[in-house]
Amino acid sequence: MASLLELQRSFGAALRGGADSATVDDAARACGLEPPANLSIYRHNSDHAFRSALEIGFPVLRRRVGDDYFRQLAHHYRVACPSRSGDLHWAGQDFSVFLAEHLRGGDYAWLADLARLEWGREAAAVCAELPALGADALRKYPAEMLEHLTFTLQPSLRLVESPFPVFSVWFANQGENASPVDQSAGRECGMIRLRSNSMEVTRLAPDLFSCMDSLVHGATLGEAVTAANVGESRLIEVLGFLFSSSLVSSLTPAPGRRQGTSS
Amino acid sequence: MANLDSRGLATEPIPARAGIGFRSVHHDAWSADGKSSRPAVGWIEAHTENYFHDGGAAARALERARADYPLSLHGVGLGLGSAEGVDRAHLARVRAAIRRFEPALVSEHACWGRVDGECFNDLLPLPYTDEAVRVLARQVREAQDFLGSQLLIENVSTYVTFAHSHLSEWEFLSAVVADSGCGLLLDVNNIFVSACNLGLDAHAFIAGIPRAAVQEIHLAGHARNGDVLIDDHGSRVCAEVWELYAAALARFGAQPTLIEWDTDIPPLATLVEEAHRADRMLEGLRGLAA
Repeated sequence: MASLLELQRSFGAALRGGADSATVDDAARACGLEPPANLSIYRHNSDHAFRSALEIGFPVLRRRVGDDYFRQLAHHYRVACPSRSGDLHWAGQDFSVFLAEHLRGGDYAWLADLARLEWGREAAAVCAELPALGADALRKYPAEMLEHLTFTLQPSLRLVESPFPVFSVWFANQGENASPVDQSAGRECGMIRLRSNSMEVTRLAPDLFSCMDSLVHGATLGEAVTAANVGESRLIEVLGFLFSSSLVSSLTPAPGRRQGTSS
Repeated sequence: MANLDSRGLATEPIPARAGIGFRSVHHDAWSADGKSSRPAVGWIEAHTENYFHDGGAAARALERARADYPLSLHGVGLGLGSAEGVDRAHLARVRAAIRRFEPALVSEHACWGRVDGECFNDLLPLPYTDEAVRVLARQVREAQDFLGSQLLIENVSTYVTFAHSHLSEWEFLSAVVADSGCGLLLDVNNIFVSACNLGLDAHAFIAGIPRAAVQEIHLAGHARNGDVLIDDHGSRVCAEVWELYAAALARFGAQPTLIEWDTDIPPLATLVEEAHRADRMLEGLRGLAA
Protein backbone atom coordinates (compact mmCIF):
# COMPACT_ATOMS: atom_id res chain seq x y z
CA MET A 1 0.00 0.00 0.00
CA ALA A 2 1.28 3.47 -0.87
CA SER A 3 2.38 5.66 2.04
CA LEU A 4 0.46 8.84 2.85
CA LEU A 5 3.26 10.92 1.32
CA GLU A 6 3.19 8.84 -1.88
CA LEU A 7 -0.59 9.20 -2.09
CA GLN A 8 -0.39 12.94 -1.63
CA ARG A 9 2.34 13.20 -4.28
CA SER A 10 0.13 11.31 -6.77
CA PHE A 11 -2.86 13.44 -5.84
CA GLY A 12 -0.79 16.61 -6.21
CA ALA A 13 0.47 15.47 -9.63
CA ALA A 14 -3.14 15.07 -10.74
CA LEU A 15 -4.06 18.54 -9.46
CA ARG A 16 -1.32 20.17 -11.49
CA GLY A 17 -1.76 17.80 -14.43
CA GLY A 18 -2.83 20.38 -17.00
CA ALA A 19 -5.58 19.57 -19.46
CA ASP A 20 -4.48 15.97 -20.09
CA SER A 21 -7.38 13.94 -18.71
CA ALA A 22 -5.45 10.66 -19.14
CA THR A 23 -2.83 11.97 -16.70
CA VAL A 24 -5.53 12.83 -14.22
CA ASP A 25 -7.19 9.44 -14.58
CA ASP A 26 -3.85 7.67 -14.08
CA ALA A 27 -3.19 9.67 -10.96
CA ALA A 28 -6.71 9.01 -9.65
CA ARG A 29 -6.15 5.28 -10.14
CA ALA A 30 -2.76 5.50 -8.43
CA CYS A 31 -4.51 7.06 -5.42
CA GLY A 32 -7.27 4.46 -5.52
CA LEU A 33 -9.89 7.20 -5.82
CA GLU A 34 -13.56 6.51 -6.41
CA PRO A 35 -15.14 7.97 -8.45
CA PRO A 36 -11.99 9.05 -10.33
CA ALA A 37 -13.86 11.73 -12.28
CA ASN A 38 -14.51 13.68 -9.09
CA LEU A 39 -10.81 14.47 -8.84
CA SER A 40 -11.62 17.23 -11.33
CA ILE A 41 -13.59 19.02 -8.58
CA TYR A 42 -10.41 19.42 -6.55
CA ARG A 43 -8.47 20.49 -9.64
CA HIS A 44 -11.09 23.11 -10.36
CA ASN A 45 -11.16 24.35 -6.74
CA SER A 46 -7.40 24.65 -6.50
CA ASP A 47 -7.09 26.38 -9.87
CA HIS A 48 -10.03 28.67 -9.15
CA ALA A 49 -8.68 29.71 -5.75
CA PHE A 50 -5.30 30.66 -7.20
CA ARG A 51 -6.77 32.52 -10.18
CA SER A 52 -9.31 34.34 -8.00
CA ALA A 53 -6.50 35.61 -5.78
CA LEU A 54 -4.80 37.03 -8.88
CA GLU A 55 -8.05 38.54 -10.16
CA ILE A 56 -8.53 40.34 -6.86
CA GLY A 57 -4.96 41.60 -6.84
CA PHE A 58 -4.64 42.63 -10.49
CA PRO A 59 -8.00 44.07 -11.60
CA VAL A 60 -6.57 46.63 -14.04
CA LEU A 61 -4.24 44.12 -15.66
CA ARG A 62 -7.19 41.78 -16.11
CA ARG A 63 -9.30 44.56 -17.57
CA ARG A 64 -6.58 45.48 -20.06
CA VAL A 65 -5.86 41.95 -21.32
CA GLY A 66 -9.36 40.45 -21.06
CA ASP A 67 -10.55 37.41 -19.13
CA ASP A 68 -9.29 34.75 -21.54
CA TYR A 69 -5.72 36.02 -21.78
CA PHE A 70 -5.63 36.71 -18.04
CA ARG A 71 -6.69 33.11 -17.44
CA GLN A 72 -3.84 31.90 -19.67
CA LEU A 73 -1.32 34.12 -17.92
CA ALA A 74 -2.54 32.90 -14.52
CA HIS A 75 -2.19 29.28 -15.62
CA HIS A 76 1.36 29.75 -16.93
CA TYR A 77 2.29 31.72 -13.83
CA ARG A 78 0.97 28.99 -11.53
CA VAL A 79 2.99 26.36 -13.41
CA ALA A 80 6.14 28.50 -13.13
CA CYS A 81 5.53 29.83 -9.61
CA PRO A 82 3.12 27.56 -7.70
CA SER A 83 1.68 28.71 -4.40
CA ARG A 84 4.05 28.11 -1.48
CA SER A 85 1.77 29.45 1.22
CA GLY A 86 -1.53 28.49 2.79
CA ASP A 87 -2.31 32.21 2.69
CA LEU A 88 -3.31 33.12 -0.86
CA HIS A 89 -2.76 36.82 -0.25
CA TRP A 90 0.82 36.25 -1.40
CA ALA A 91 -0.06 34.34 -4.58
CA GLY A 92 0.64 37.38 -6.75
CA GLN A 93 3.93 38.53 -5.28
CA ASP A 94 6.05 37.14 -8.15
CA PHE A 95 3.51 37.81 -10.92
CA SER A 96 5.30 40.93 -12.20
CA VAL A 97 8.66 39.12 -12.28
CA PHE A 98 7.05 36.24 -14.18
CA LEU A 99 5.40 38.63 -16.66
CA ALA A 100 8.66 40.51 -17.21
CA GLU A 101 10.25 37.25 -18.35
CA HIS A 102 7.18 35.92 -20.16
CA LEU A 103 6.57 39.14 -22.14
CA ARG A 104 10.20 40.26 -22.52
CA GLY A 105 10.86 42.24 -25.68
CA GLY A 106 7.26 42.10 -26.90
CA ASP A 107 4.66 44.80 -27.37
CA TYR A 108 3.14 44.02 -24.00
CA ALA A 109 6.25 44.16 -21.84
CA TRP A 110 4.69 47.12 -20.03
CA LEU A 111 2.13 44.76 -18.45
CA ALA A 112 4.86 43.58 -16.07
CA ASP A 113 5.25 47.08 -14.68
CA LEU A 114 1.48 47.48 -14.43
CA ALA A 115 1.49 44.25 -12.40
CA ARG A 116 4.26 45.68 -10.21
CA LEU A 117 2.10 48.72 -9.51
CA GLU A 118 -0.91 46.59 -8.68
CA TRP A 119 1.10 44.25 -6.44
CA GLY A 120 2.35 47.37 -4.66
CA ARG A 121 -1.26 48.16 -3.82
CA GLU A 122 -1.88 44.62 -2.57
CA ALA A 123 1.21 44.63 -0.38
CA ALA A 124 0.62 48.15 0.94
CA ALA A 125 -2.99 47.42 1.83
CA VAL A 126 -2.05 45.15 4.74
CA CYS A 127 0.75 47.26 6.24
CA ALA A 128 0.60 48.98 9.60
CA GLU A 129 0.10 52.75 9.62
CA LEU A 130 2.50 54.46 12.01
CA PRO A 131 1.88 57.82 13.69
CA ALA A 132 3.25 60.54 11.42
CA LEU A 133 5.54 63.42 12.38
CA GLY A 134 4.76 67.00 11.47
CA ALA A 135 7.34 69.29 9.89
CA ASP A 136 7.96 70.87 13.28
CA ALA A 137 9.85 67.68 14.21
CA LEU A 138 12.76 69.14 12.21
CA ARG A 139 13.01 72.05 14.63
CA LYS A 140 14.43 69.70 17.26
CA TYR A 141 17.66 69.52 15.29
CA PRO A 142 20.20 72.29 14.66
CA ALA A 143 20.34 73.44 11.04
CA GLU A 144 23.74 71.82 10.44
CA MET A 145 22.29 68.47 11.52
CA LEU A 146 19.44 68.37 8.99
CA GLU A 147 21.45 66.99 6.07
CA HIS A 148 22.58 64.11 8.29
CA LEU A 149 19.08 62.94 9.20
CA THR A 150 17.67 59.67 7.92
CA PHE A 151 13.92 59.40 7.44
CA THR A 152 11.75 56.40 8.28
CA LEU A 153 8.76 56.57 5.96
CA GLN A 154 5.42 54.76 6.33
CA PRO A 155 5.79 50.94 6.04
CA SER A 156 3.11 50.85 3.36
CA LEU A 157 5.00 53.18 0.99
CA ARG A 158 5.80 51.52 -2.33
CA LEU A 159 7.69 53.41 -5.05
CA VAL A 160 7.24 52.30 -8.65
CA GLU A 161 9.20 53.54 -11.65
CA SER A 162 8.65 52.36 -15.21
CA PRO A 163 9.82 53.28 -18.71
CA PHE A 164 6.13 53.02 -19.61
CA PRO A 165 3.20 55.25 -18.55
CA VAL A 166 1.79 52.63 -16.18
CA PHE A 167 0.31 55.13 -13.75
CA SER A 168 -1.66 56.69 -16.62
CA VAL A 169 -2.85 53.22 -17.60
CA TRP A 170 -3.87 52.47 -14.02
CA PHE A 171 -5.80 55.73 -13.60
CA ALA A 172 -7.47 55.39 -17.01
CA ASN A 173 -8.67 51.86 -16.27
CA GLN A 174 -10.59 52.33 -13.05
CA GLY A 175 -13.75 51.62 -15.04
CA GLU A 176 -14.65 49.46 -18.02
CA ASN A 177 -14.10 50.49 -21.67
CA ALA A 178 -11.16 52.82 -21.06
CA SER A 179 -9.32 54.13 -24.11
CA PRO A 180 -5.83 52.70 -24.63
CA VAL A 181 -2.97 54.81 -23.27
CA ASP A 182 -0.23 55.70 -25.75
CA GLN A 183 2.74 53.64 -24.59
CA SER A 184 5.13 56.04 -26.31
CA ALA A 185 4.21 58.61 -23.64
CA GLY A 186 7.24 57.29 -21.81
CA ARG A 187 8.56 57.02 -18.28
CA GLU A 188 6.44 57.51 -15.20
CA CYS A 189 7.08 57.15 -11.53
CA GLY A 190 4.92 57.35 -8.48
CA MET A 191 4.00 56.00 -5.11
CA ILE A 192 1.40 53.78 -3.49
CA ARG A 193 0.57 53.96 0.18
CA LEU A 194 -2.12 53.18 2.75
CA ARG A 195 -3.54 56.19 4.53
CA SER A 196 -6.42 56.06 7.01
CA ASN A 197 -7.41 52.64 5.64
CA SER A 198 -7.58 53.94 2.05
CA MET A 199 -5.13 53.24 -0.73
CA GLU A 200 -3.52 56.22 -2.44
CA VAL A 201 -1.84 56.00 -5.85
CA THR A 202 0.04 59.17 -6.80
CA ARG A 203 2.25 60.12 -9.73
CA LEU A 204 5.45 61.83 -8.58
CA ALA A 205 7.82 64.26 -10.26
CA PRO A 206 11.12 62.49 -11.07
CA ASP A 207 13.23 64.51 -8.61
CA LEU A 208 10.76 63.92 -5.77
CA PHE A 209 10.65 60.21 -6.63
CA SER A 210 14.44 60.00 -6.69
CA CYS A 211 14.73 61.78 -3.36
CA MET A 212 12.13 59.51 -1.72
CA ASP A 213 13.74 56.42 -3.22
CA SER A 214 17.08 57.35 -1.68
CA LEU A 215 15.47 58.02 1.71
CA VAL A 216 13.67 54.68 1.62
CA HIS A 217 17.01 52.99 1.01
CA GLY A 218 18.57 54.61 4.07
CA ALA A 219 20.29 57.66 2.58
CA THR A 220 20.56 60.82 4.67
CA LEU A 221 18.60 63.86 3.58
CA GLY A 222 21.81 65.41 2.25
CA GLU A 223 22.65 62.31 0.20
CA ALA A 224 19.10 62.07 -1.12
CA VAL A 225 19.02 65.72 -2.15
CA THR A 226 22.35 65.40 -3.94
CA ALA A 227 21.31 62.22 -5.75
CA ALA A 228 18.06 63.84 -6.91
CA ASN A 229 19.77 67.12 -7.82
CA VAL A 230 17.25 69.04 -5.74
CA GLY A 231 17.93 72.74 -5.17
CA GLU A 232 17.17 74.68 -1.99
CA SER A 233 13.76 76.01 -3.01
CA ARG A 234 12.72 72.61 -4.33
CA LEU A 235 13.94 70.99 -1.11
CA ILE A 236 11.36 72.98 0.84
CA GLU A 237 8.66 71.64 -1.50
CA VAL A 238 9.93 68.06 -1.13
CA LEU A 239 9.97 68.27 2.66
CA GLY A 240 6.57 69.95 2.60
CA PHE A 241 5.20 67.04 0.58
CA LEU A 242 6.71 64.38 2.84
CA PHE A 243 5.36 65.91 6.04
CA SER A 244 2.00 67.15 4.76
CA SER A 245 1.35 63.68 3.31
CA SER A 246 2.02 62.13 6.74
CA LEU A 247 4.75 59.97 5.22
CA VAL A 248 7.45 60.51 7.85
CA SER A 249 7.21 58.34 10.95
CA SER A 250 10.61 59.02 12.48
CA LEU A 251 13.82 61.01 12.04
CA THR A 252 17.20 59.68 13.12
CA PRO A 253 20.63 61.30 12.90
CA ALA A 254 23.02 59.17 10.88
CA PRO A 255 25.58 57.19 12.94
CA GLY A 256 28.28 59.49 14.29
CA ARG A 257 25.93 62.45 14.17
CA ARG A 258 23.61 61.55 17.02
CA GLN A 259 22.63 64.46 19.24
CA GLY A 260 19.04 63.41 19.72
CA THR A 261 16.28 61.44 18.09
CA SER A 262 12.69 62.30 17.40
CA SER A 263 10.12 59.62 16.81
CA MET B 1 -22.43 45.42 27.53
CA ALA B 2 -19.68 42.90 26.93
CA ASN B 3 -16.96 42.43 29.55
CA LEU B 4 -13.76 43.80 28.10
CA ASP B 5 -10.13 43.03 28.86
CA SER B 6 -7.40 45.66 29.18
CA ARG B 7 -7.14 45.82 25.38
CA GLY B 8 -10.87 46.39 24.92
CA LEU B 9 -11.65 42.89 23.63
CA ALA B 10 -14.79 41.01 24.72
CA THR B 11 -13.78 38.26 27.15
CA GLU B 12 -16.90 36.05 27.16
CA PRO B 13 -16.61 32.47 25.89
CA ILE B 14 -18.47 31.57 22.71
CA PRO B 15 -22.08 31.09 23.82
CA ALA B 16 -24.24 28.16 22.71
CA ARG B 17 -25.98 30.49 20.28
CA ALA B 18 -25.76 31.09 16.56
CA GLY B 19 -22.99 33.23 15.10
CA ILE B 20 -22.15 34.39 11.60
CA GLY B 21 -19.02 34.86 9.55
CA PHE B 22 -17.19 38.19 9.70
CA ARG B 23 -16.85 39.19 6.04
CA SER B 24 -15.43 42.33 4.48
CA VAL B 25 -18.61 43.17 2.56
CA HIS B 26 -20.34 43.74 5.90
CA HIS B 27 -17.60 45.69 7.71
CA ASP B 28 -19.65 48.89 7.83
CA ALA B 29 -22.52 47.15 9.61
CA TRP B 30 -20.22 45.60 12.20
CA SER B 31 -18.74 48.97 13.10
CA ALA B 32 -22.03 50.90 13.13
CA ASP B 33 -22.46 53.44 15.90
CA GLY B 34 -24.49 52.11 18.78
CA LYS B 35 -24.72 48.48 19.83
CA SER B 36 -28.42 48.31 18.93
CA SER B 37 -27.65 48.85 15.25
CA ARG B 38 -25.10 46.03 15.10
CA PRO B 39 -26.08 42.49 14.09
CA ALA B 40 -27.97 40.66 16.84
CA VAL B 41 -25.91 37.47 16.86
CA GLY B 42 -24.11 35.72 19.69
CA TRP B 43 -20.60 35.64 18.24
CA ILE B 44 -18.55 35.96 15.07
CA GLU B 45 -16.12 33.76 13.18
CA ALA B 46 -13.28 35.06 11.00
CA HIS B 47 -10.94 33.25 8.63
CA THR B 48 -7.56 33.27 10.36
CA GLU B 49 -5.55 33.83 7.18
CA ASN B 50 -7.33 37.13 6.49
CA TYR B 51 -5.77 38.54 9.68
CA PHE B 52 -2.13 37.59 9.25
CA HIS B 53 -1.06 41.13 8.45
CA ASP B 54 0.06 44.08 10.56
CA GLY B 55 -2.52 46.50 9.26
CA GLY B 56 -5.25 47.10 6.75
CA ALA B 57 -8.97 47.67 6.83
CA ALA B 58 -9.89 44.06 7.65
CA ALA B 59 -7.75 43.91 10.79
CA ARG B 60 -9.05 47.25 12.04
CA ALA B 61 -12.65 46.23 11.43
CA LEU B 62 -12.16 42.99 13.37
CA GLU B 63 -10.51 44.83 16.24
CA ARG B 64 -13.54 47.12 16.47
CA ALA B 65 -15.99 44.22 16.32
CA ARG B 66 -14.08 42.34 19.03
CA ALA B 67 -15.24 44.90 21.60
CA ASP B 68 -18.79 43.60 21.13
CA TYR B 69 -18.55 39.95 20.11
CA PRO B 70 -16.69 36.82 21.19
CA LEU B 71 -14.60 35.50 18.31
CA SER B 72 -13.78 32.15 16.78
CA LEU B 73 -10.76 32.05 14.44
CA HIS B 74 -11.19 29.47 11.69
CA GLY B 75 -8.15 28.52 9.62
CA VAL B 76 -8.17 27.14 6.10
CA GLY B 77 -4.46 27.01 5.29
CA LEU B 78 -2.57 24.80 7.73
CA GLY B 79 -3.37 21.47 6.06
CA LEU B 80 -2.47 19.55 9.23
CA GLY B 81 -2.76 16.20 7.44
CA SER B 82 0.06 17.01 5.00
CA ALA B 83 2.56 14.16 5.26
CA GLU B 84 5.55 16.46 4.77
CA GLY B 85 4.87 18.24 8.06
CA VAL B 86 3.44 21.44 9.46
CA ASP B 87 4.30 24.77 7.84
CA ARG B 88 5.94 26.42 10.86
CA ALA B 89 5.87 29.89 9.33
CA HIS B 90 2.12 29.62 8.78
CA LEU B 91 1.68 28.31 12.29
CA ALA B 92 3.62 31.29 13.67
CA ARG B 93 1.24 33.64 11.87
CA VAL B 94 -1.73 31.80 13.37
CA ARG B 95 -0.19 32.26 16.81
CA ALA B 96 0.31 35.99 16.18
CA ALA B 97 -3.35 36.31 15.15
CA ILE B 98 -4.43 34.46 18.31
CA ARG B 99 -2.37 36.82 20.49
CA ARG B 100 -3.75 39.85 18.73
CA PHE B 101 -7.45 38.98 18.57
CA GLU B 102 -7.77 36.61 21.56
CA PRO B 103 -10.34 34.21 20.09
CA ALA B 104 -12.36 31.96 22.38
CA LEU B 105 -12.17 29.11 19.86
CA VAL B 106 -9.55 28.20 17.25
CA SER B 107 -10.29 25.71 14.51
CA GLU B 108 -8.78 24.06 11.42
CA HIS B 109 -9.69 21.21 9.09
CA ALA B 110 -9.10 17.46 8.91
CA CYS B 111 -7.39 17.69 5.55
CA TRP B 112 -4.07 18.12 3.81
CA GLY B 113 -3.01 20.89 1.41
CA ARG B 114 0.71 20.80 0.68
CA VAL B 115 3.21 18.38 -0.83
CA ASP B 116 6.82 18.93 -1.92
CA GLY B 117 6.50 22.56 -0.86
CA GLU B 118 3.59 23.34 -3.15
CA CYS B 119 0.32 24.53 -1.61
CA PHE B 120 -2.93 23.69 -3.37
CA ASN B 121 -4.99 26.09 -1.27
CA ASP B 122 -7.86 23.66 -0.95
CA LEU B 123 -9.15 21.31 1.74
CA LEU B 124 -7.88 18.05 0.25
CA PRO B 125 -9.21 14.69 1.48
CA LEU B 126 -7.27 12.22 3.58
CA PRO B 127 -7.48 8.44 3.32
CA TYR B 128 -8.97 7.05 6.51
CA THR B 129 -6.04 4.90 7.54
CA ASP B 130 -4.03 4.35 10.72
CA GLU B 131 -1.10 6.21 9.17
CA ALA B 132 -3.26 9.25 8.39
CA VAL B 133 -4.62 9.19 11.97
CA ARG B 134 -1.04 9.18 13.30
CA VAL B 135 0.09 12.00 11.00
CA LEU B 136 -2.92 14.24 11.61
CA ALA B 137 -3.00 13.62 15.38
CA ARG B 138 0.75 14.22 15.72
CA GLN B 139 0.54 17.50 13.84
CA VAL B 140 -2.58 18.64 15.70
CA ARG B 141 -0.68 18.02 18.95
CA GLU B 142 2.32 19.91 17.59
CA ALA B 143 0.09 22.83 16.57
CA GLN B 144 -1.74 22.87 19.91
CA ASP B 145 1.55 22.89 21.83
CA PHE B 146 2.89 25.72 19.69
CA LEU B 147 -0.32 27.78 19.80
CA GLY B 148 -0.98 27.15 23.49
CA SER B 149 -4.59 26.47 22.60
CA GLN B 150 -6.80 23.49 21.95
CA LEU B 151 -7.80 23.15 18.30
CA LEU B 152 -11.17 22.14 16.98
CA ILE B 153 -10.83 20.05 13.84
CA GLU B 154 -13.57 20.22 11.21
CA ASN B 155 -14.76 17.38 9.00
CA VAL B 156 -14.47 18.44 5.34
CA SER B 157 -16.79 17.83 2.40
CA THR B 158 -15.44 15.01 0.26
CA TYR B 159 -16.00 14.01 -3.34
CA VAL B 160 -13.87 10.87 -3.48
CA THR B 161 -13.02 7.84 -1.39
CA PHE B 162 -9.61 6.17 -1.23
CA ALA B 163 -9.33 2.44 -1.78
CA HIS B 164 -6.77 2.54 1.06
CA SER B 165 -9.33 3.68 3.66
CA HIS B 166 -10.22 1.00 6.19
CA LEU B 167 -11.88 3.30 8.73
CA SER B 168 -15.13 5.22 8.39
CA GLU B 169 -14.78 9.01 8.55
CA TRP B 170 -16.30 9.11 12.04
CA GLU B 171 -13.93 6.38 13.25
CA PHE B 172 -11.06 8.36 11.76
CA LEU B 173 -12.09 11.62 13.45
CA SER B 174 -12.76 9.87 16.77
CA ALA B 175 -9.26 8.33 16.69
CA VAL B 176 -7.68 11.75 15.98
CA VAL B 177 -9.59 13.27 18.92
CA ALA B 178 -8.50 10.46 21.24
CA ASP B 179 -4.86 10.65 20.11
CA SER B 180 -4.43 14.45 20.04
CA GLY B 181 -6.82 15.88 22.63
CA CYS B 182 -8.39 18.18 20.07
CA GLY B 183 -12.10 18.93 19.89
CA LEU B 184 -14.34 18.70 16.85
CA LEU B 185 -16.04 21.35 14.80
CA LEU B 186 -18.85 19.37 13.26
CA ASP B 187 -19.91 20.73 9.88
CA VAL B 188 -23.38 19.31 9.34
CA ASN B 189 -23.55 20.51 5.75
CA ASN B 190 -20.26 18.75 5.04
CA ILE B 191 -21.65 15.52 6.48
CA PHE B 192 -24.68 15.86 4.20
CA VAL B 193 -22.59 16.67 1.11
CA SER B 194 -20.17 13.79 1.69
CA ALA B 195 -23.00 11.39 2.49
CA CYS B 196 -24.85 12.24 -0.73
CA ASN B 197 -21.71 12.15 -2.87
CA LEU B 198 -20.32 8.91 -1.49
CA GLY B 199 -23.45 7.03 -0.47
CA LEU B 200 -22.83 7.24 3.28
CA ASP B 201 -25.33 7.27 6.14
CA ALA B 202 -25.30 10.80 7.60
CA HIS B 203 -27.09 9.71 10.77
CA ALA B 204 -24.57 6.92 11.34
CA PHE B 205 -21.86 9.60 11.03
CA ILE B 206 -23.47 11.68 13.80
CA ALA B 207 -24.08 8.62 15.96
CA GLY B 208 -20.43 7.58 15.56
CA ILE B 209 -18.90 10.82 16.85
CA PRO B 210 -18.11 10.94 20.60
CA ARG B 211 -20.60 13.22 22.37
CA ALA B 212 -18.04 15.21 24.36
CA ALA B 213 -15.82 16.00 21.37
CA VAL B 214 -18.10 18.44 19.55
CA GLN B 215 -17.66 22.07 20.64
CA GLU B 216 -18.92 23.94 17.57
CA ILE B 217 -21.23 23.28 14.63
CA HIS B 218 -21.19 24.74 11.12
CA LEU B 219 -24.20 25.10 8.84
CA ALA B 220 -24.01 26.21 5.22
CA GLY B 221 -25.58 25.90 1.80
CA HIS B 222 -24.30 23.83 -1.09
CA ALA B 223 -24.79 23.66 -4.85
CA ARG B 224 -25.76 20.75 -7.09
CA ASN B 225 -23.71 19.96 -10.20
CA GLY B 226 -25.35 16.97 -11.89
CA ASP B 227 -25.19 14.12 -9.40
CA VAL B 228 -22.59 15.80 -7.24
CA LEU B 229 -23.19 18.22 -4.37
CA ILE B 230 -20.59 20.98 -4.16
CA ASP B 231 -19.84 22.59 -0.81
CA ASP B 232 -19.84 26.20 -2.03
CA HIS B 233 -21.24 28.08 1.01
CA GLY B 234 -23.27 30.15 -1.43
CA SER B 235 -26.92 29.72 -0.44
CA ARG B 236 -29.32 29.18 2.45
CA VAL B 237 -29.10 26.02 4.55
CA CYS B 238 -31.37 23.43 2.91
CA ALA B 239 -34.21 21.58 4.65
CA GLU B 240 -32.32 18.28 4.82
CA VAL B 241 -29.37 19.93 6.55
CA TRP B 242 -31.68 21.64 9.08
CA GLU B 243 -33.11 18.18 9.84
CA LEU B 244 -29.63 16.75 10.25
CA TYR B 245 -28.77 19.71 12.49
CA ALA B 246 -31.71 18.78 14.74
CA ALA B 247 -30.30 15.26 14.98
CA ALA B 248 -26.86 16.68 15.82
CA LEU B 249 -28.31 18.89 18.57
CA ALA B 250 -30.18 15.91 19.98
CA ARG B 251 -26.89 14.01 20.28
CA PHE B 252 -24.40 16.77 21.16
CA GLY B 253 -26.63 19.24 23.02
CA ALA B 254 -26.72 23.00 22.42
CA GLN B 255 -23.44 24.01 20.76
CA PRO B 256 -22.21 27.30 19.26
CA THR B 257 -23.47 27.18 15.67
CA LEU B 258 -22.10 29.17 12.76
CA ILE B 259 -23.97 30.12 9.60
CA GLU B 260 -21.25 30.01 6.91
CA TRP B 261 -21.76 31.95 3.69
CA ASP B 262 -18.63 32.67 1.67
CA THR B 263 -19.68 33.03 -1.99
CA ASP B 264 -22.41 35.26 -3.39
CA ILE B 265 -22.62 36.73 0.08
CA PRO B 266 -26.11 38.18 0.70
CA PRO B 267 -27.10 41.21 2.78
CA LEU B 268 -26.29 40.83 6.45
CA ALA B 269 -30.00 40.60 7.27
CA THR B 270 -30.21 37.27 5.43
CA LEU B 271 -27.35 35.82 7.47
CA VAL B 272 -28.91 37.08 10.69
CA GLU B 273 -32.22 35.51 9.66
CA GLU B 274 -30.53 32.13 9.18
CA ALA B 275 -28.74 32.54 12.50
CA HIS B 276 -32.03 33.27 14.27
CA ARG B 277 -33.48 30.08 12.84
CA ALA B 278 -30.60 28.15 14.40
CA ASP B 279 -31.09 30.12 17.64
CA ARG B 280 -34.74 29.06 17.78
CA MET B 281 -33.70 25.41 17.53
CA LEU B 282 -31.04 25.91 20.21
CA GLU B 283 -33.60 27.60 22.47
CA GLY B 284 -36.06 24.79 21.83
CA LEU B 285 -33.44 22.33 22.99
CA ARG B 286 -32.82 24.32 26.16
CA GLY B 287 -36.60 24.47 26.73
CA LEU B 288 -36.75 20.69 26.53
CA ALA B 289 -33.91 20.38 28.99
CA ALA B 290 -35.45 22.84 31.49
